[in-house]
Amino acid sequence: MTTETAPAVALPGGEMLSWSDQRGEAGNDPLAALAARLVPAGARVLLAGPHDPALLDALTHARITCLLRGYPDAAAVAGRVDRVLVAGPHGLPPGEEYDVVIAGGGLDAVESVEGARLGWDAALARLVAAVRPGGQLLLRLDNPLGVHRLVAAASWYAGRDDAEWTVGGVLDAHRPANLDQLRVRLAAAGMRAGASYAAYPRPDLTTALLATDQLARRTSSGLFDAVLHDACTSGFGGRFVLADPARLAVDALHAGRAAELAPSWLVVAHRAVDPLTTDERYGTAAVDGDGLPVALVQAGGPGNTVVEVVDGPQGWSWHRPDPGDRTEAAAAPYASREAAFRDPAAPDGPVPDGRLLRSLLLDGCLRRDTTLLRRLLRGYADWLADQAGDGRLTGAVALAGADNLVVAGDRFAVLDPTWRANAPLPVDVVLARTLWRFSAELLTGGYAHPWTSTLDVAGLTVVLGGVAGRDFDRAVVDAAVETEAAVGAAVRGLDADGRVGLDTELRAVTPTDPPPGPGSYQQLREAWLRQREENTRLTALLKWTEDLLTSRERALRRSEAAVNLLSGSLSYKVGRLAITPARLAKRGARAAKRRAVAAIAQKQQDRPDKQEQQ
Amino acid sequence: MHHANHFYGHAHVLARYAGLGDGHPPRINGYVQHGWNIGDGLAPGHPYAERTPSLLWSEQTRRRAWSVGRRNVTVIGAPFVYLLAMQADEPQPERAGTIWYPFHGWEGQHVKGDHKELIARIRDTEPGPVTVCLYWHEHRMRRVRRLYENAGFRVICHGYRGHWWKDTDPEFLDRQLAELRRHARVASNRLTSAIFYGIAAGCEPAVYGDPMVLANEDPTFGGTARIRRQWPELHGEQVHLPTAVEIARAELGTDHRYPPAALRELLGWAHLQEETT
Repeated sequence: MTTETAPAVALPGGEMLSWSDQRGEAGNDPLAALAARLVPAGARVLLAGPHDPALLDALTHARITCLLRGYPDAAAVAGRVDRVLVAGPHGLPPGEEYDVVIAGGGLDAVESVEGARLGWDAALARLVAAVRPGGQLLLRLDNPLGVHRLVAAASWYAGRDDAEWTVGGVLDAHRPANLDQLRVRLAAAGMRAGASYAAYPRPDLTTALLATDQLARRTSSGLFDAVLHDACTSGFGGRFVLADPARLAVDALHAGRAAELAPSWLVVAHRAVDPLTTDERYGTAAVDGDGLPVALVQAGGPGNTVVEVVDGPQGWSWHRPDPGDRTEAAAAPYASREAAFRDPAAPDGPVPDGRLLRSLLLDGCLRRDTTLLRRLLRGYADWLADQAGDGRLTGAVALAGADNLVVAGDRFAVLDPTWRANAPLPVDVVLARTLWRFSAELLTGGYAHPWTSTLDVAGLTVVLGGVAGRDFDRAVVDAAVETEAAVGAAVRGLDADGRVGLDTELRAVTPTDPPPGPGSYQQLREAWLRQREENTRLTALLKWTEDLLTSRERALRRSEAAVNLLSGSLSYKVGRLAITPARLAKRGARAAKRRAVAAIAQKQQDRPDKQEQQ
Repeated sequence: MHHANHFYGHAHVLARYAGLGDGHPPRINGYVQHGWNIGDGLAPGHPYAERTPSLLWSEQTRRRAWSVGRRNVTVIGAPFVYLLAMQADEPQPERAGTIWYPFHGWEGQHVKGDHKELIARIRDTEPGPVTVCLYWHEHRMRRVRRLYENAGFRVICHGYRGHWWKDTDPEFLDRQLAELRRHARVASNRLTSAIFYGIAAGCEPAVYGDPMVLANEDPTFGGTARIRRQWPELHGEQVHLPTAVEIARAELGTDHRYPPAALRELLGWAHLQEETT
């Protein structure tokens, strides 16, 4: 059945006329990039439930049908797709099959409030029935124990949002609650689960899709470390959470549990041509998604380009799925006078192996392993110096901080060379900028470290410079902060005022501040404890100083009494009388000298006047 | 500044190294460990302001200090290490004989022991000429000084360590380093700072003889018995030199030495430096 006002929109029954699933803060660009890879030209695609509009942009080469429960959402995409069905899963016409079915918002968002509720398994069965034999299903499942849930300030079971007319959770045994259970359900429904991805940082926002098998194997990967940290920091920016989600995600990576703690998962499943002979008909490689990227990453958060990391015989390498973007990006940076520019071709080439320098440094600080810190920082400083021409550095090396450098043995490499310095920077400034950024993160993050609380961020930067074997002072740190503000302004696209504001903001960072980004209860509490410690220290110091002052004043009084006593003695008076002629002579000589100097000055003043008269 | 920071001219050495010249050193924002120590790096009995930084010699001392409740503890290395770095290029005199440090207590303590017995042991052990370095208050005790002089030893004193900012000898450590560099061996009846300084200055170490127990010695950290248990490699008339060098390096925190700018930050001298320049 179709309406007369919007012929492209079909309302087979069960629609929600005023409901919209579009949320401003949601997004899933990596899914769009993955779908663009998986969907061949001309393929029939069903988008079941709400999706990021980016997905439509990525699938212009396909014939798309959208199944949406909210009418406003249907009206919004009506002109951009072949057909829109406004309904719950019941609305899918029986017998209609698609090459690819994508449920990137999970199954909950497919069900409508109208009509009979299907439940998770039945909704899956309905979608599976719409996949043609040999076709694919891309399905998202939210994790009831993901990082987002562990750091959430509000309990999941007290849901009061409009979308929570039922609160589906881990207690519902009818829905899978982990990847293994999901695979079992898919198999029961006649699908074989292939590649699976951990989606970070939130269920409603995916900026990183990371292959779950690789996450379990490469637990110390610098790439995964950097991607998880960046995704969680920007994905929770400005939100109140219990603990730092980035710390938790990176810890989970190192413990081999980053896939298990992902906020959601995305599984690529295949429908067998003949369900009874699944294994015989499909080779493992095809089913497991051989050739799919190891990671799809939107560095810097929503709005940025998605880049892929693909596995090959030479190891992992960067791949930009959208080469058309290069020419567009090329014009702006070179023409500008910004401190940094985005390399239009980057990231490209191999992804260097190794551990992230930031994690290594944090580990060294926590364990107070100053030997390790010396080795790392000296290695880094030497590596910078070796590449410098005339004491200056250019390119990506000049901008890469500890969050973008990987270390394998004694070898250092830039992880993502996208951003490059526009003008050469002195080696010491490059080193100091990296160390300043690390110091700010270490101090405001509340990490334990081997140094004293009396050091501010600039002071710790100088001390870390000393650990690196370099003797630079605060003037260099000052230049480094200026560079940091300029680079930050270029990356964020700020104007001159924005840059000045950022510079002021950076210089105002103190060790007792909480870190920028997510407002974490733990970190706010830690910042408060640091302030309290500092107050305790200063109070004790004040008392000590007062006591010392009292004792020194007493000593001074004793000395003054002794001086007074001695100056009244006969020997003092005789001595003073004896030296009186000498004192008078000295006074006279001084007066004579003063008069002579004044006379000479007067003469010098008069001379130019006479010369002028002549 | 805590007056103990001035002992042995430590603050003067650090100020010179930090590029502040030979004048009176500025106030240090913390307590500099003033001697090798098997406790928390601070001298027992001295009053300290809580949570004021302890600037310690070695990582082992830092761990120990933390474990006994000290906070704001960091390792900067011994001031002697900074002096060595400043004098690394000085010409080295020819070495001969042994410099012997009979263990001393500080002014308030009194050593119990037999100097004559110790002198006999030194004579029997040391192959070359012996210089005996007495602590200033023993050096002032004519009776003790004469005992060593009469034994044919050269008797010296590096100077007065100072007390309550008074009469600190800023050249104390310089004098000690110069003496150490003149001798092939450094020895004492106890493992003390001087032995570690000697090893760092290139002497072969030896620790033997009656350790001369102090009257009312504080047993909190285990005393001489613990020192012998924990550092047996450094005790004896002959000691394995590479092992001794390695231990001295750790105990003096040689690898923890900071460059001048970083040291200024750690001692609270950074802003002062900006003002003076």
